[in-house]
Amino acid sequence: MKTRVAGLLALLFIGCVACSKKEEAPPPPPVTEPPTTQPAPVGVSGVTLGKSIGADKKVAEPTDVFGAKDTIYASVETGGTGHAKLRALWSFVKGSKTAKVDETTIEFESTAPAVNEFHVSKPSGWPKGSYKVEIFLNDSPDPATSKTFTVS
Amino acid sequence: MASAEGKKDDDMPDFSDVQSGASTTAPGAKVFETYEVKAGDSLSKIAKRLLGDGNAWRKIFEANTDILKDPDKIYPGQKLKIPRS
Repeated sequence: MKTRVAGLLALLFIGCVACSKKEEAPPPPPVTEPPTTQPAPVGVSGVTLGKSIGADKKVAEPTDVFGAKDTIYASVETGGTGHAKLRALWSFVKGSKTAKVDETTIEFESTAPAVNEFHVSKPSGWPKGSYKVEIFLNDSPDPATSKTFTVS
Repeated sequence: MASAEGKKDDDMPDFSDVQSGASTTAPGAKVFETYEVKAGDSLSKIAKRLLGDGNAWRKIFEANTDILKDPDKIYPGQKLKIPRS
């Protein structure tokens, strides 16, 4: 009788242990975020120089050689979204020296590709020599793009 | 002639009569020229020289309230935004 009671108790114990062991819930399926397309930040393509621009602000006939009385246009394309501060720094280059010719800035909220133009002229005539225009984006110390040209 | 660093350099040509401008296809853009203040400058002198109207000094002041608190106090070396549009 004692053996039977002991056996029943043992079975009861095993049953209770089995009952008390909770089944682990399966791990939740990984949460998949809906694909988000981060808007591209504002970027600058190369600069194109010429003596005139069209209504689309693009240089029709690119050149890097100008005459003393020419108006010099620099056309720069931008894309992406966000605040855009586009600065054109025109310089005269003589050996290792540079002289600032002009500095102009365009500031806008970029929402779509845009074409931007900067231009300089000098009524008394451009001195012959080498020049460069550097395009800076959003206060970066380094130019996003640049181009050299000559006046002959 | 002022060099890129703003120092007088007689070895370099004079570019003080350079005229400049800019435009964009982007809507709502602001265009401004950067002008470095020289000794003896005042906002009205700068406005007369660059905008053709000495009374336009207020436009320059309003474009530079981030660095100017008093229109009568400008200092050589300060870089001012000269509004073009």
